[in-house]
Amino acid sequence: MILRMLRLRTLVTGCLAIAALLFAADPAWGVPQVAEQEYRALPFISSRVLMWAVAELHLMFAAFVLAVPMFALVIEFIGYKTGDKRYDQLAYEFTKLLSVSFSFTATLGALLTFGLIVFYPTLAQYLVRIFSWTFLPYVLLFFLEAVFLYTYYYGWGKFSPRVHLFLGVMLNIVGTAIMFIANAWLTFMNTPAGVDELGNLTNLWEAINNYTWMPINIHRLIANVAFGGAIGAAYGAFKFLGAKTPEERAHYDWMGYVGIFVAICALLPLPFAGYWLGVEIYAYDQSLGITLMGGTFSWLFIIQAVLIGNLFLAANYYLWLSMGRIPGAERFRRFIKYLLAVITLCFIVWATPHSLVATVEEARAMGGSHHPILNVLGVMSAKNTAVNLLILTTYVSFLLYRRANKEATVSWAKTGNLVQFGIFAAVVIFVVFLGVYGYFVDAQTRIGLSQPQVLSVLFAMVSVTVIDIFLFRNAQSRGRVAWGKIPARSQYALFFLAITFTWLMGLMGYVRAGMRQHWHVYGVVRDTSVDAFTPTLGFAGMVVSAIVVVFFLLIAVVFFLSSLSGQKNWEPGQSKRWFKRRSETAATPLTQ
Amino acid sequence: MKHALLIFGFTILVSAFYWYVSLWVPQKRTEPPEDIAISADISTDEMIAIGEEIVGGKGTCLTCHTMGESGTGLRFPDLDNIGAIALTRVEGQSDVDYLAESMYDPNAYVVEGFVAGMPDVSRPPVALTDQEILTVIAYLQSLGATPTVTMETQLQWQGQAPTTPAVTPVATGESRDGETIYASYLCNTCHTLDGQAGVGPTFQGIGSRLSKAELYEAVIDPDASITEGYIQGLMLPTVTASRFYDEVTAAELQSLVDYLATL
Repeated sequence: MILRMLRLRTLVTGCLAIAALLFAADPAWGVPQVAEQEYRALPFISSRVLMWAVAELHLMFAAFVLAVPMFALVIEFIGYKTGDKRYDQLAYEFTKLLSVSFSFTATLGALLTFGLIVFYPTLAQYLVRIFSWTFLPYVLLFFLEAVFLYTYYYGWGKFSPRVHLFLGVMLNIVGTAIMFIANAWLTFMNTPAGVDELGNLTNLWEAINNYTWMPINIHRLIANVAFGGAIGAAYGAFKFLGAKTPEERAHYDWMGYVGIFVAICALLPLPFAGYWLGVEIYAYDQSLGITLMGGTFSWLFIIQAVLIGNLFLAANYYLWLSMGRIPGAERFRRFIKYLLAVITLCFIVWATPHSLVATVEEARAMGGSHHPILNVLGVMSAKNTAVNLLILTTYVSFLLYRRANKEATVSWAKTGNLVQFGIFAAVVIFVVFLGVYGYFVDAQTRIGLSQPQVLSVLFAMVSVTVIDIFLFRNAQSRGRVAWGKIPARSQYALFFLAITFTWLMGLMGYVRAGMRQHWHVYGVVRDTSVDAFTPTLGFAGMVVSAIVVVFFLLIAVVFFLSSLSGQKNWEPGQSKRWFKRRSETAATPLTQ
Repeated sequence: MKHALLIFGFTILVSAFYWYVSLWVPQKRTEPPEDIAISADISTDEMIAIGEEIVGGKGTCLTCHTMGESGTGLRFPDLDNIGAIALTRVEGQSDVDYLAESMYDPNAYVVEGFVAGMPDVSRPPVALTDQEILTVIAYLQSLGATPTVTMETQLQWQGQAPTTPAVTPVATGESRDGETIYASYLCNTCHTLDGQAGVGPTFQGIGSRLSKAELYEAVIDPDASITEGYIQGLMLPTVTASRFYDEVTAAELQSLVDYLATL
């Protein structure tokens, strides 16, 4: 019943949002009959902060709704190919989270549309006029997504596996297309194209296919999977902590592992997509790029380093705890302290700022804002080296986890191990060499060194994985993974990862919009409101934290509603029996 | 329930920790640049002072350029001593012209060892006015040389920036035609199309009575010439109140004039 109401609400909010768009798009209504207000304010909260929160929450739910079908489909496909019903069940469990989340996404999207029209009427009108032709396909795709999503969810087990997989593919295609259209609107605001100097539309396709459209599409596609995986893992952790039976604990332990595995796999290529996005921003306008990376927002990337460093630390910590449930993993326990040392060292280097917050006396003693020793670690050469080694170390942790209960039986096992070690050693030396070399060359050459560093790390991960697959073919098992036998703190590590992913998403959402500074549409529509200033990072951090807490409150509602579908139906007298049982349980210690 | 509360508390704790991290870094609120009032008769010293303020503020020059740094790590030329350098940088080009060109048309000449990439500062997003650019030239000349530029200096690039800079959210995307604008801003309240007298003169036959130039002037400066029998000073505040002058683009104004010329 609740799910039906939510479905109805999704359609209602969707229709309201569409009506709002049409209202704003209609030229006869859009043209002001009297002097129109450029902005409207709220009495107790800045309208910008309100819209910021609504937009970010919408984005988070949309990311989740787009990501879950991707890996649910892959898991379902694995189940179909292997015939293992556990995968099918797991995919269904992930999909159960979609229905309510889709309703929340639509509701927040409608709120965002209304908010833009009410608080930023002139900007909304401008964007509507530029992109009015994209609304019809957007609305049609939105409708199709609702159809495919609910058919995919409610049709689980009702269709042949191939038809159901096809529905999943269609759901993913439609969802991705929706995101691509919405991305055109927001990337246009950062790197507008297809308009003349007065902001008049000259070419719609150019406005859509602006400099950052495709990089954002790809970046979001990958980031959504990482985010969705982390939230899915958090759901597994939530259910694990409340599990009553060993079977439940085993199932949700596995679910949490699969979720975070998906998240980390997506996290690793994300910096490359971010690099492409950065390159396009610089190509569009160098001063915009410098504002982002070296100007107003340069310190934001120190916060980002702390967040990503924590992600790597927590992911490794979870893997090490997970090895406790695998027979044979004790062989590798001695390596953990070395891995931890390398990760900590890389984390410290990556989070070292180029210039320091210092008092006048301290600055005088240092001869400027750059520390004489730490300054060496606060530059890109050191940071690129650190992050590449961080990725490589996390991969080593995963490799140890993967082979924990396996004993290679192939005749060339020793050679294979030596080759793998040789690849690691060669790549580490190469990455460190390029990092040091970067101190002695000009800026252009130095920037170019990051590519061979990244490519060599990718090469190591791919080649070692390929060798590992053949090395452990027909391997001897030291015992089965004891799913569910893992300490509760590992589940808090999963929550920590989910919160950190969400906070990171909020922070990067802020900088993507904030880099425009006092422009609604960069260089075209200026922000003349009282909120045109760029706030301090502390204020931005406070808003992001508040958004994250609200998001997790809403996600808790999603988890609760999703778990209702597996519960028994209510029967008359059930409440009385429950209260009676509860009072008896409570009274027992007193009577003894 | 106990776990749910613990998890919620954990969420608040981790979020608060990251907020703390964001408070730990330098806190700076960046205000949007303010327009600087420049009169035509300011002295060279005043020009230098204003130019310096623009270089560090509205011009955002120091976002990319450094002042007094050297080495291979620079992404854009250092501005130290640029006044002296500009005197001889391009053969046959005066220092004023070189500095002006490097702002209006920065990729016409790119200093060896650097790559093109600087935007035209007379256009958005920087959008310096011609007067502001003259003061910046004075300041840059003062870095190693004696300023020769004045507020009267004429540069070949002046007056080329958009007539209606897109500094307020008035851009309309698709231009409205003249008839739509006539209806939208309720021009018919005062000006009839059927020849009857109103608060203002009728538009019937106005195309044959006034040239396009006169129509254009009548719209943007209505008090410049008043038809006999009508009140001076009435149209300007009325049209201003409708935000016509803020919202209508140059292209739309042209459409309105074209439409009136057909009546």
